[in-house]
Amino acid sequence: MSQPSLAPFVLKRQWLTRWMKPLANWYANASGYRKLGLRADDLIPEENDTVMLAIKRLPPKEAYDRVFRMRRAFQLSLSHQLLPKEEHTKPEEDVPYLTPLIEEIEAELKEREDLEAMVITKPTTQKKHGPKMYH
Amino acid sequence: MLSRSALRRGALRCQFAQPVQKRYLAEAASGSFQYQTGDASGVKIASRDLAGPTTTLALVSKAGTRYQLLPGLTEGLEKFAFRGTERRSALRIVRESELLGAELESYHSRENLVIGAKFLRDDLPYFVELLAEVASSTKYLPHVYTEEVLPLIKLAHKKFLASPKAIALSSAHSLAFHRGLGTPVSPASATPYTKYLAADTIEYFAQFAYAKPNFAIVANGAEHADLSKWVNEFFGGVSAKAPEDLLQSVRDKQTKYYGGEERIAHGSGNSLVLAFPGSSSFTGGFYKPEIQVLASLLGGKSSIKWSSGFSLLSKAAASPGTSVETKSAIYSDAGLLYININGTAENVSATAIEAVKTLHSIAGGKISAEDIKKAKAAAKFQELETGQDITAGLELTGSGLTHGSKAYQLDETAKAIEGVTDAQVKAAAKTLLESKATVSAVGDLFLLPYAEDLGLKV
Repeated sequence: MSQPSLAPFVLKRQWLTRWMKPLANWYANASGYRKLGLRADDLIPEENDTVMLAIKRLPPKEAYDRVFRMRRAFQLSLSHQLLPKEEHTKPEEDVPYLTPLIEEIEAELKEREDLEAMVITKPTTQKKHGPKMYH
Repeated sequence: MLSRSALRRGALRCQFAQPVQKRYLAEAASGSFQYQTGDASGVKIASRDLAGPTTTLALVSKAGTRYQLLPGLTEGLEKFAFRGTERRSALRIVRESELLGAELESYHSRENLVIGAKFLRDDLPYFVELLAEVASSTKYLPHVYTEEVLPLIKLAHKKFLASPKAIALSSAHSLAFHRGLGTPVSPASATPYTKYLAADTIEYFAQFAYAKPNFAIVANGAEHADLSKWVNEFFGGVSAKAPEDLLQSVRDKQTKYYGGEERIAHGSGNSLVLAFPGSSSFTGGFYKPEIQVLASLLGGKSSIKWSSGFSLLSKAAASPGTSVETKSAIYSDAGLLYININGTAENVSATAIEAVKTLHSIAGGKISAEDIKKAKAAAKFQELETGQDITAGLELTGSGLTHGSKAYQLDETAKAIEGVTDAQVKAAAKTLLESKATVSAVGDLFLLPYAEDLGLKV
C-alpha cells in the first residue's frame, strides 16, 4: 500500500539524496529483514484488496520466489536463527517488485473515482456555420 | 476533471476548419450502394456516404479463424480489442465512448476480425484515432488476459457447447474444409485457452492482424475525403509489414472440399446439417450464382412471422416446430450450401429424408418454372438486402478489400443471379447429389439418421 512519504521530495534534490543515502542504507540494514532473506516488498501488509490483486498480478516466477522467501523467513523465525552472511539479501537484490504494481492498481482506482466524479458541461462555443443539414 | 468539451475539442476543431458539408440527395438515391475505395498511407479504405446522422466505422482484418496461427488466437485478439492502450486505459475508452453516445463492438467470423464503432458523424476523427490506437498500441498484459479476456473466452466456449446448432455447423465446416475454413469459430474445447493462448502469443498474432496489407477501414455514412484525411493522420504508426509467416502458404492456399460424416451426442436439442460444396465469393474463382438460387429454392425460413412459409423445405418440415434453414455460406475462395434442421429427433429425421427427396426432385426437373422464378427473386432480394445492410456490407466490403483488393460488387452479383436459368439450377442440384456430401448429426444419435440412411454419399 503506498503511504505518504518524503522519499520523492528527497530524491528530487540530489544534494539531499547524497546526504541522506548513507543514513537510509544503515537503517535498511539495521531493520534486519535482509538477514532473514526477505525483501522490503515482502513486508507490505497484504490484508487488503489492492495488495491481494497486485500479488495475483505478479509473474509466476516472482510469485514463487516470494512464497519461498516467506517460508524460509518463517522457519528461521520459528527456530530463532538468522541466515549465514552469504545468504543475506544483497542491497542490489532488494528491489521493489510489488510497489510498482500496487501503484498501478491505485492509479486505476483513482482514475475510476475521477471519472465517476466527472461533471459534464455542454460545449460553450457556438458552431459558426449553423446546424448541420441532414437529409 | 475531464469535461465533455475537452473530449470534443478535437472533433469541434475539425468542424470549424471545414466548410459546411453538402450531401446531395441524388447521390444516395441513385440506387447504387457501392462503396468508394481508396488508399490512405498504405491502408485500404472504403466508404459509402448514405444520408443519416450516424456513421458506422469498422476495421476489418484478415484475421478470422481461418488465418489464426494457433487455435483460439482470433478469439483472444477479438476480446483484447478496446482494452488498455499505451495512451489510455480500457475504462477511459469506454467512458469516453459512452459520453459521445457511441457503441463499440468487436466480433469475428471464419475469415474476418471486425472491430468497429457506431457514432454520430461529427466524432469521426475520435474513432479513427481510437481504431488506430487499438491496432498499434494495445497493451497485451498478462493480468488483463487472465482477469478480463479469459472469462469471456470461457463464456464463448460454454455458449458454443450449449447450442447443438452451433456444434453441428462447426462440425460440418470442419468435415468439409478440414483446416483453414474448417477451424471452429468458437472454441469447441478448453484446449485453445489452456494450451495455446497467452498474452504474448496474442500480441504476436496482433502483429499479423494489424499490419497494413492485412486490414481495411470501412465506413458507412462518412465522406470519403474525410475518412481519407483522418486515416492518413492516425494510421501512420501502424506497422507496414507483418512478420515473416512461415505458414502463410499453407493458410492462403486454395480451400479444398473434402466432405464426410460426423455424429455427436448431445443432451439438449437435435440438429442435423446436410452440406454440399457451394459457391465462392464473386471474386473467388468458383462463383456459382445458381447455388444461391438453389438455396433460396430449398428455403425453409419464412419472411412472415406466423407462417412457416411455402418454400420446398418448409413444406417438407415434419412439424411446425421443426426449423429448417438453407443457407449458401460464401467465403472468399470456397463455399458451403447447407441445410440445417433443428427440432425433436424424430421430426429432424423425417425432415431430413424429405429434404433429400426434394433435392432429388429438383435434380430430376420436377420443380415448376414458377417456383424457380420465385426463388430467383428471393435470392436477388436477399443479395441486395445484405449489401444494403450496414453490418453485413461493412464486413463483405472489408473482406473483399483484404482478400482481393476489390470491394464487394453488389450490382454484379445481383445481375448474375438474374441470369441463372432453370437448367443451371437443375444441373447444380444434380452435381450436389453426385458429389461427396457432409452430414453432421448432433443430439439423440439413436434416432438421428446416418448419411447412408438418407441416401447421400459421404
